[in-house]
Amino acid sequence: MTTTAVQAPPARRRGVVVTRVRHTLGRLLVTLARSVAIFVPVFLVATFVTFALRSMSGLSPARIQLGEEATPEAIQRVEAQWGLDRPFLVQYWDWFTGVLHGQLGTSWTNGADISTLIGLGLGVSLSVATFALIIGIVLGFALGALAALRRTTWIDRAITGFVTVISVMPAFVVGIVLVAVFAVGLDLFPSAGYIPAEQGFGPWLAHITLPAIALSFDVVADVARQLRGSLVAAFRENYVTGAVVRGLSPRRIFYGHVLRNGIGPALATLGLKFPALVGASVVTEWIFGLQGFGRFANDSAQAGDVPAVQGVLVVSIVLVVLFNLIVNLVLARVTPASQRGV
Amino acid sequence: MVRRVLTLTSGRIALVILTVIALLAVLGPLLAPQNPLATSDNTLAAASGSHWLGTDYLGRDVFSRLLDGSRVSVLGSLEVALMALVVGAIPGILSVYLGRTFEWITLRLADTLVALPFLLFAVAVIALLGNGITQAMLVTGALVSPLFYRVSRAATLAVARSPYVEAALVSGASVGWVVRRHVWVKVLPPIAVALAQTIGVGFIIVSSLTFLGIGIQPPAPTWGGLLASDLGYLSYQPWAPLAPALLIMITVWASNLLADAIRDVSGEAGRAFVNNRKARANRLDGPEPVSTGGV
Amino acid sequence: MTTLSEKAAPGTALKPALKTATPREPVAPAAPVLTVRDVRISDRVTDREIVHGVSFELTPGKTVGIVGESGSGKTLTCRATLGILPPHFEVSAGSIEIAGTDIADLTPQQWTALRGATISAVFQDPASYLNPSIRVGAQIAEVIRVKKGVKRREARHRAVELLQAVQLRDPELVYGQYTHELSGGMLQRVLIAAAIAADPRILIADEATTALDVTVQAEILDLLAELREHAGLALVIVSHDLAVVAQLCDEVLVMRDGEVVEQGTTREVLHHPRHEYTRLLIAEHESYGLDRFLTPQETS
Repeated sequence: MTTTAVQAPPARRRGVVVTRVRHTLGRLLVTLARSVAIFVPVFLVATFVTFALRSMSGLSPARIQLGEEATPEAIQRVEAQWGLDRPFLVQYWDWFTGVLHGQLGTSWTNGADISTLIGLGLGVSLSVATFALIIGIVLGFALGALAALRRTTWIDRAITGFVTVISVMPAFVVGIVLVAVFAVGLDLFPSAGYIPAEQGFGPWLAHITLPAIALSFDVVADVARQLRGSLVAAFRENYVTGAVVRGLSPRRIFYGHVLRNGIGPALATLGLKFPALVGASVVTEWIFGLQGFGRFANDSAQAGDVPAVQGVLVVSIVLVVLFNLIVNLVLARVTPASQRGV
Repeated sequence: MVRRVLTLTSGRIALVILTVIALLAVLGPLLAPQNPLATSDNTLAAASGSHWLGTDYLGRDVFSRLLDGSRVSVLGSLEVALMALVVGAIPGILSVYLGRTFEWITLRLADTLVALPFLLFAVAVIALLGNGITQAMLVTGALVSPLFYRVSRAATLAVARSPYVEAALVSGASVGWVVRRHVWVKVLPPIAVALAQTIGVGFIIVSSLTFLGIGIQPPAPTWGGLLASDLGYLSYQPWAPLAPALLIMITVWASNLLADAIRDVSGEAGRAFVNNRKARANRLDGPEPVSTGGV
Repeated sequence: MTTLSEKAAPGTALKPALKTATPREPVAPAAPVLTVRDVRISDRVTDREIVHGVSFELTPGKTVGIVGESGSGKTLTCRATLGILPPHFEVSAGSIEIAGTDIADLTPQQWTALRGATISAVFQDPASYLNPSIRVGAQIAEVIRVKKGVKRREARHRAVELLQAVQLRDPELVYGQYTHELSGGMLQRVLIAAAIAADPRILIADEATTALDVTVQAEILDLLAELREHAGLALVIVSHDLAVVAQLCDEVLVMRDGEVVEQGTTREVLHHPRHEYTRLLIAEHESYGLDRFLTPQETS
């Protein structure tokens, strides 16, 4: 018998290929659909709670604009002007449709368009957050993988110890230390402020480096710990023995088999970490004097500017949802096995 | 469980540190050598015999302020943890038993809460709902509750579907008895782990909020507030943030250490220990959990 | 889940030719490919000897069977020959030679070169020995690509051939599937295909049929026998089941508590068991129709 007989007839073969492509595409769509199915209720509930905040707060633009000694009539007039005398659900619907169109309303304090205000700060915050994520992923993966490869040696213990130490350092503590050492002490970096990338890559990087490092510690710690754990677990799996017995080199086994399966939980951690990163930006931007998203959130909250706070929360939810969507898609691509039975 | 945690060195260290911190919270204001609010002309002084950790920009004794401020942090983090426990664990356990609708709703809610950046929400809520760190802590507690929801639900699910619980029910045991005998033993350790972790998270959140000056009236001392005031005088006192920073870090570390210790004693070895004791105490307990290891 | 049966229909009796079969014909009194001489294995931590001396020789086209209950040391012996003893176990005495090379002084690189190409293995619970995140075909192709140094396309082509050779119907489809999409019997065939992908001379089957249905078990054993005929493989069959060993093996070792209590040709051991334990094993199996194998068969 010749070897050609082994091959399936061309027509069938094409059929198989088509099915496989459809299979992959289908899985991607399923992941997408599942993510959307999870996040639509998330978005609805979160925006509703966000909106309900105003009613609970009892704050009103009248107080901000007219001061404490406003007459009830004046307050009523201002509130009617803002449409706050309408039923709650009508207001919510109005606001919600606006949000869907990207309109977050106008600020109570200065009447400016909130979408524009947030847009201004977002560039700063996203620069810092992205840089922090990059540091977190690179360093976290390197440390986690190294610890797993050298498990039970002193390298592993040293890394684990280091990770434990940095995991208990809140972003604002790290930030202050960084300012004290690198900005004030050694004068290597500017201690505050921001320069857009268009005005020079170097200064831009210099201004976001310290805040990004401060934010990244948490990510580094979690990613490294998670990766080490899942890699060590993956090393114990039988398929590693299987690959060894088939004569694959340790290098190939690590990159092709162990990492592939161990990477999932670390990526998932990244998805969970993102909200914390957005939250911590409130503190780091305060320390480093960045006029970003977090600073805007803090200022609006302190000023009692409810629409601005609502806008900030909506944008943060959208950011988190988008980021998780990306993580889920990557996860689905990397570990198809995790899709079964979910 | 406490006794078994104490058999570990890490558990002992963690409990000692947390006890000391808790004592500081209770006795701190009494222990403070000086009035934490009293200003003096001796501003930004270095550490000395009369001011162990120096003085701040208003000449107030940093050591006294640190001791006095521990109460806010400890109370705050306890509030976060307990709130999260109540809001998370109860629906988590119930979600296994109360039917599909309840399960679906609580799962979606948990998804939602996880997606919210809780520091941002805490800042927003505290600023809008106004004064007092307690509200913010309760809101934060609700936001971190999915952790409890997840662990308690997972543990309950594992127990509810395990053959030995079925066997116990089939052999006529009452539901209450099964819960006491089997469910509790499995569900409690993961919740204890989550509680310890949440206390650590709580410390970070309280410190962050007080650092921003939110939820606290200005002269009152807090750990975060100390750090914030140090930030402005770094060029004069670059070492000043060290004490409050270390205090925060050690507390968080001890909480994590405690979580790990509980996890360790309730892990495989710990469980075997419990099972043996149970088996000896109660031979007619129905089938022992069969190991699924095989080879 | 696929609806295909995992085996080619009975009508297709024509066995697909293994490409690997051609170059190697079993020379009459062939040199042993695997020599195990008085191997003892100890636990370094407790300093206890677990396996107290195992010896056998294996020539191409022949089969050695190791029987014993779990914990008798048969798996440890296999793992020693593969160089994958669990941590803190070591070969404390005796020697193992694979194709004339003593494994004691092999470097890790030499081990990597040896495994797959000269000696390979399949195990119980085949699903766990394949990577769940990678299509099974790609895992076979990977072995071919790495060990044979062929191009991606060619490796893929050969992998499909191998899947055909282990009698999987629709190998093209199986190639693109993941472990959780295949049944136990199919997975064991895939695992065998991966194990023989780099044309090893020795294949160790450690409880390879244990978890399978009786009918599937028989099919897998047939497949192994056929590979032995066509590819000139030397087989080591490890099982707790005397019937499995009796069906395939030329020589049998009966192990208990790390000791070889009886060793000899299959017929001899089955017909004239000398040791108490062997008699016990045979007696236990009589009710399962083992006597079928007691009559001389074409296997010998």
